[in-house]
Amino acid sequence: MMRSKFDEQLEYLNVELIKMGALCEEAISSAIKALLDDDQEMSRKAQDTDREIDQKERDIESLCLKLLLQQQPVARDLRVISSALKMISDMERIGDQASDIAEITAFISGNEVQSRIHIRDMALAAINMVTESIDSFVRKDMSLAQNVIQSDDTVDALFLKVKEELISLIKGDNGSAEAYMDLLMIAKYLERIGDHATNIAEWVLFSITGKHVEG
Amino acid sequence: MKRKIFSGIFLVSVLTFLACLVLILGVLYNYFDMQLIEGLHTEGTTIAAGIEAGGETYLQNLTMYDNRLTWIAADGEVLFDNQADPSSMENHLDREEIAEALQSGQGESSRYSETLSQKTVYYALKLSDNSVIRLSDTRSTVWNLLFGMFQPILLVLTIAIILSAILASRISKSIVRPINAIDLEAPDVEGNYDEISPLLLKIHHQNDQIRRQMEELRRQREEFQLITENMSEGFLVVDAKTELLSYNSAALRLLGSGPVEGTPSVLTLNRGESFRHAVETALAGEHCEQTMSLGSAVYHVIANPVTHQKKPAGAVIVILDCTERELRDQMRREFTSNVSHELKTPLTSIYGVSEMIANGIVKPGDIRSFAQNIHEESGRLITLIEDIMKLSQLDENSIPADPVAVDLYQLAASVIERLKRQAEERNIAVDLDGGTAIVQGIPNVLEEMIYNLCDNAIKYNRDGGRVRISVNKDKDGHPVVRVQDTGIGIPKEHQARVFERFYRADKSHSKKIGGTGLGLSIVKHAAAYHGATVRLESEEGKGTIVTVRF
Repeated sequence: MMRSKFDEQLEYLNVELIKMGALCEEAISSAIKALLDDDQEMSRKAQDTDREIDQKERDIESLCLKLLLQQQPVARDLRVISSALKMISDMERIGDQASDIAEITAFISGNEVQSRIHIRDMALAAINMVTESIDSFVRKDMSLAQNVIQSDDTVDALFLKVKEELISLIKGDNGSAEAYMDLLMIAKYLERIGDHATNIAEWVLFSITGKHVEG
Repeated sequence: MKRKIFSGIFLVSVLTFLACLVLILGVLYNYFDMQLIEGLHTEGTTIAAGIEAGGETYLQNLTMYDNRLTWIAADGEVLFDNQADPSSMENHLDREEIAEALQSGQGESSRYSETLSQKTVYYALKLSDNSVIRLSDTRSTVWNLLFGMFQPILLVLTIAIILSAILASRISKSIVRPINAIDLEAPDVEGNYDEISPLLLKIHHQNDQIRRQMEELRRQREEFQLITENMSEGFLVVDAKTELLSYNSAALRLLGSGPVEGTPSVLTLNRGESFRHAVETALAGEHCEQTMSLGSAVYHVIANPVTHQKKPAGAVIVILDCTERELRDQMRREFTSNVSHELKTPLTSIYGVSEMIANGIVKPGDIRSFAQNIHEESGRLITLIEDIMKLSQLDENSIPADPVAVDLYQLAASVIERLKRQAEERNIAVDLDGGTAIVQGIPNVLEEMIYNLCDNAIKYNRDGGRVRISVNKDKDGHPVVRVQDTGIGIPKEHQARVFERFYRADKSHSKKIGGTGLGLSIVKHAAAYHGATVRLESEEGKGTIVTVRF
């Protein structure tokens, strides 16, 4: 009886994590829409979603602690719960960064620069990484998780590319240097989102295999 | 049951054995008692006769006698004892057997000696001189006897226990065997114990009933599965914890999920905002409809709560694929906007120019050129409306003519003749090769088709370009019309859509080139009317090849 209750709670934790992951995806895709389509409505939505993510993090955290204290899980169950604890902090960071990006979009509103650099590719790559990392968690898919860890290099490379593009733009045109700096910030946030997605994928691998690979 | 039978039999047999032992011991003991007393009687009579005849000397000579023999005078004084000194013995008058003998001629009694666990039996006989002889014999008590027989009894008991154990085990097994052998699926009612045959009969009936019910359930489930599996709509049933209870393959296909194991949360299939919202709203007890897009597909999600005892117990989710409908809606919107744009442009110029003339702000000398303008624009409008009418005719298959044999080559030649001036203006070379190719069709529709193809090939060509038209038959004998130009080409992303009405690869609707945006649409419909296929190959900046195969 105790055991089945515990299983139920673990399943509930799983569903809550999926919901939180979905919120992360929403936050980042709203932020990217705000950036690429210059849509202030989306910017607000990203920031609202971030608040929801923060709330979810607290809920899941207390659920995890309750499970740890009351059920004293061992082996696999312990791994699942501890990796959940780690994952939610990465997800929460993704939400924060999405919110930060959304905030910056207000300052570069009406600027056409973003269409001239590779920030779109980078944003799509980062969204893809987040989606795949959540997918790998949902399906407990190890190869997908490996895939996410590998695609971090793509996002890193794109970040360098965007940085160089911005440098050459600043050299040629001093007028909108501020916007360029904002774009650089956004690129950096996207790069960090990629890192957090990588972390999530690593925790997924840990919860399955019990080995934590530091990427 | 076997154990119970075994212990029952075992207990009974051991008890029986013990009871037998007690009984036999009791009977035998009594029998021996009798024997003893009888012996004493005989001996007493003999010895009494001896004493009557020989007196004390008889007794003195009776050395062979091993039982105790005492001769007591009538006053109780012991006269002789063969095992003790008579002088040391007390007066025996108060002994039970002596008193009895003195009174009635003979007496007997038995006394137990506690210390020796022995029983002494006395027999007294009164002689003619009123003296009494007493014989006594000792024997062990029954306990002593038992104790003495302890080893053989133990041995026999052990053997009996072993034997009864073996027997009990065999018997219990053989009793239980038919019961164990009952096949509960198909019990043999006749061949078993009468006592349990009513039970078996009942089991038999219930088996039948269960089988029928299972069959019914299976049939219902299969029916349900068949219905849901053949639905093109996705169908999901979830419980209050969002766990997936039932689904059809269409749902998995629409949500792009692989096979499902166990009962995962429905959110593992899709966790998109609108889907999640639909699930959560339904689980909160409200009906919810959402539109969600997944990749290029658009789905309509309808979630209905399932309530049990007024509490939401789950939800039924139906997913409809409305990608095509959305696409059609979008096309219709575009069509409406395009057609109104196309119609409005010439009308606006006509309206503007005619207003200027009406207000008299145009110099009389310019009226001519303004009228020319009105003429051209209204000409454009007429062409456009004619095109739309042709299309709607083709749409409704209401072409008022019977198909006749048409030579596509001749048709192409006459079209080129009509377009000659236009081509020459832009210095475009138009070639025609191939030979006669006869099809059954409507001449003016086919001409319109070839005209539109050639017109496009010239219009969208570069100056000094080249148009090659070939009419021939392919290796299967089907007539093929091929129009190749060296023009601007059509970008890849537009190629699939240029056959749509009013669709322009160049969105600016530039007046420079003219045209209504209906040309290729007419080509497509005309070809379809004649059962021909149209193929478009194009490379941006290099040219376009349109092939119509009948």
